[in-house]
Amino acid sequence: MKNNIITITLFILCFFILLLSLRGIAGNPTLATINDAKWTTDGPLELSPDRGRFALTYSIVEENSFFFSLPIARFATPDLGYKNGHYVSLFAPFVSYVIIPGYILGKLFGLAQVGSFAVIAFIALLNVVLIRLISMRLGANKIAATLAGLVFLFATPAYAYAVSLYQHHISTFLILLTLYILLRWKNLKSLFFVWLLFGISLPIDNPNLFLMAPLVIYASGRFFSINKMKEKINFSFHFLGVLTFLGGVLPLLFFLWFNQMSYGNPLQLGGTVASVKAIDANGKPTLPQVAITDKKTIDGLLDPAKQNKSVIQFFQSRNLINGLYELFISQDRGMLYFTPVMFIGMFGGILLYRKKSSILVVLVGIIGMNVLLYAMWGDPYGGWAFGSRYLIPAYAIIAILLSFVLSAFRKNIWFLLFFSLVVTYSISVNTVGAITSNSNPPKSEVLALEKLYHTPETYSFDRNIQLLSHNTSKSFIWQTYFKSAISAVTYYWILVTSILLIFVGQIISLRIHTTYKPEDRYE
Amino acid sequence: MNRFILSISFSKTTSRRLYAFFYNNIFYFLLAGLTTISVFCFLVYLQNGLGLSYNDARSHLDIGRRVVEGLKPGLAQLGSVWLPLPHLLMVLTVWNDFMWHSGLSGALQSMISFVATGLLVYYFLKELQVSMLGRLTGVFVFVANLNMLYLQSTAMTELLLIATSTAGVYELLKWQRNNRLFNLLLSSFFIMLSTLNRYDGWFLFGWASVIVVIVMWKKVGWRAAEGVFFLFTTLGALGIVLWFLWNQLIFHDALYFIFGPYSAHAQQQQLAQAGVLATKKDLLLSIKVYMYALAYNEYTFPLILGLTGAIVLFFDKKLPLNSKIVSSALFAPLIFNILALFFGFSVLFVQGISGDTWFNVRYGILMSPSLAIFIGYLVYRWHKLRYLIIGLLFFVTAFAFLNQDAVTIDDARVGSSQVNVSEVANWLNKNAKDKPGFVLIAAASHDAVIFSSGLPMSKFIHEGTGEYWVSATTSPDRWARWIVMRTNDMNDQTFKLVHNTPGFKKYTLVGHYPFADIYELKPQYISQLHTTPVFGHQK
Repeated sequence: MKNNIITITLFILCFFILLLSLRGIAGNPTLATINDAKWTTDGPLELSPDRGRFALTYSIVEENSFFFSLPIARFATPDLGYKNGHYVSLFAPFVSYVIIPGYILGKLFGLAQVGSFAVIAFIALLNVVLIRLISMRLGANKIAATLAGLVFLFATPAYAYAVSLYQHHISTFLILLTLYILLRWKNLKSLFFVWLLFGISLPIDNPNLFLMAPLVIYASGRFFSINKMKEKINFSFHFLGVLTFLGGVLPLLFFLWFNQMSYGNPLQLGGTVASVKAIDANGKPTLPQVAITDKKTIDGLLDPAKQNKSVIQFFQSRNLINGLYELFISQDRGMLYFTPVMFIGMFGGILLYRKKSSILVVLVGIIGMNVLLYAMWGDPYGGWAFGSRYLIPAYAIIAILLSFVLSAFRKNIWFLLFFSLVVTYSISVNTVGAITSNSNPPKSEVLALEKLYHTPETYSFDRNIQLLSHNTSKSFIWQTYFKSAISAVTYYWILVTSILLIFVGQIISLRIHTTYKPEDRYE
Repeated sequence: MNRFILSISFSKTTSRRLYAFFYNNIFYFLLAGLTTISVFCFLVYLQNGLGLSYNDARSHLDIGRRVVEGLKPGLAQLGSVWLPLPHLLMVLTVWNDFMWHSGLSGALQSMISFVATGLLVYYFLKELQVSMLGRLTGVFVFVANLNMLYLQSTAMTELLLIATSTAGVYELLKWQRNNRLFNLLLSSFFIMLSTLNRYDGWFLFGWASVIVVIVMWKKVGWRAAEGVFFLFTTLGALGIVLWFLWNQLIFHDALYFIFGPYSAHAQQQQLAQAGVLATKKDLLLSIKVYMYALAYNEYTFPLILGLTGAIVLFFDKKLPLNSKIVSSALFAPLIFNILALFFGFSVLFVQGISGDTWFNVRYGILMSPSLAIFIGYLVYRWHKLRYLIIGLLFFVTAFAFLNQDAVTIDDARVGSSQVNVSEVANWLNKNAKDKPGFVLIAAASHDAVIFSSGLPMSKFIHEGTGEYWVSATTSPDRWARWIVMRTNDMNDQTFKLVHNTPGFKKYTLVGHYPFADIYELKPQYISQLHTTPVFGHQK
């Protein structure tokens, strides 16, 4: 009972911290104001992934249409689609639908944008819960499991994307929930929900097809059983299992319907729709204000119908070596700089391997798919972004593995000290990202900017530190209630201290819990 | 509920028989599969013309052809610098025009080497007691690589080196397990063949010799080790000794292949002077450049798995130490290439890392069988993750094939390994084919022109034609109806020797192309021209 109270209190505290970090400004954007800088470059919808999804939500709720009106189309550039004479969304649609309740509820209070973002924050918190549940189900110590969830949320770039509008936490939620269902229930009926979640994941973000693949393959194994008897081997296939596929039918039908309504083709993916980078005064596609010399690119931007995109071209094996460097080691986005605590988590794989856990294959498979897919991606940086956002699902799984490392070494004071140092650094870095901006250009673009403007530009989280030192924070609470009272730097330190206090409390509990309750020792 | 379950039973005896059939005939299955893939790929690259894109491939074919046809045919046409084995093997078939001009004469040995190496990967892993799944994974990794499939369809020398080296190390592995002298001699023989193919083989020979000493010393002591060492090196070094002898006899300088005007050393000196030999004396850059070449050839993820597999292999307590010592020879291509870059013996451009183009990036393929073996071993030892490893390998390989990711083809098509000689070659084919008279040309610079022109080798007077060359470069107007050379380029031997001769004034420039110029003897002087061979059999 006491433990439950502590756990619930912890999650309330986490929710509170997320609320304090949530980005936004008061007000409901309208067609007349949505393109103002206070909403876009200076505001919470600073980058096109945020804007593209919010644009679709706005268009569905306010204009009852999948086609963007001109102001919304301008708002969505440079990630705007163009099909059959209409401006459309380039992004998979479900994120825009998921945030609709938050939008509508928030709009009632004059906080439409904040309400939308709050849905993502809530889902991020659910991810913490799921990481804890999964870790415990696999045999990790309870406190270690809680710590693992907190590490995921506050010590990785997941923090910055829990307070803005991206698909990563929703994708992660679907992956974790599917994993939990597979662990919790071993019957065929549970597979209905597995396919349902898989079906939902595709219109959230198309690459989820690959990220969910290990789970899908694992689940499919339940259709078959092999019984080795004395003289023969018996293979069985459970036909009833096929009925569970119905779970995935509805979301897929919705996806096909959306594609048909938006693009005129149910099988057309948003990413393959011709893109528009800028719109001129007459509402026609035009060239953006950057130097483009390739004639084919110019022709395609001026006449989107000439563009010929293919899904396969987005992922190139030739990009792997650079992609892996960027995702793991580079100062730009690398795990080493943004969340080195994840490297500690990876050792959990060895512990699970020794524990002969069959689910390890699935966990490592999800990490492997995530890493390889986005290392092959033409833009492993994630555009202008904070940290390696594409690896957020992998961070969640690594956090599960981390729970085993914490469980195994909770008696070792030196390990706990080392872990504390590393996690302090990780929390400090990711908190500055969460409350400032995701708008970090890759190093290559920074160097180009420096040449253009003849002024030194920062990159990586140095850019965020610079924003903070210029008293800039995009936190809704700070901007609305505390901006005149305390500086952004002070606000940052309050948040970091609060998070660290939670962590220190948990680490001490982990250590003390070991001393007083040896029967809970991890084996 | 049982009505909804489909059950199929197999008797254990049946499944054992099936497995035994498959296991006992695996050699034939692999042979058939590898051969089918090899032939199919050759036909694809023959049909799209990429099989002859490498300048070096055309040169290799020409060297083989010159041995059997030309103004001075004979073994001396094997020349220096490039080791002779590939050209000697070509001699068996290159006399046939189709075999020559299709590239099949050279590709045939690459294809046979590809099939042989695929089998060797399987049997190497079998020797290491790896499971069937691990062995087949190793073969899959080796085969499922567009760079490998492309190179095995060309008249390049990498596949022959890969086959002979892998065979040598495989026999060494067998020898250290069964102590049979026959396997040691086979190993020595294959390594000797590799020393006659590329200089990488010389490094492998040195490494293998050390392995022999160490293994024997640990087993039976120093004296026996000494004896076995001499036995191994006598055959193994034969190719090296013969090569020195060859250079001494033909070029009167045993070190001609190292320091001669056409040697890699001479080429590297020019590059160093031009400031583009960045890897020389820079170990970190040499490692980086070669690792990038490896990554691009192997699609990075298999490289990571292979290195992981190597670590697992070398730290595996269940594997005998001697097996590990022998398996270390699988790293020979990696070490050799890095050292070659460091000492300036080799040049390798990786676009974006060391220059703006590709050159010799195919050297990264030389580690392919080694990585395949290490990955097969990893699948065996990490058996709980075996299906995951295989699944992720499929995933990356699928994208590589879908995107047609083949850096060796890029090197051949757009890198420094390609030369666009079509304009010059087409001109010759159109204007010189049916007219009497010789073409004076430096083969060292323009072998690709000779090949692509489609004209018989005996039409050309080049450096290897003895008296014809001496006479033609002294009095071109008496011997050459056409001259092909890069005007004002002193590296072009024809221009260097001919441009100041009085006879050169009797020529008109009839073709000016980016690659080379073509001069034709003015009509009034054609009557003085020798148009048929006159020197008979030259020594």
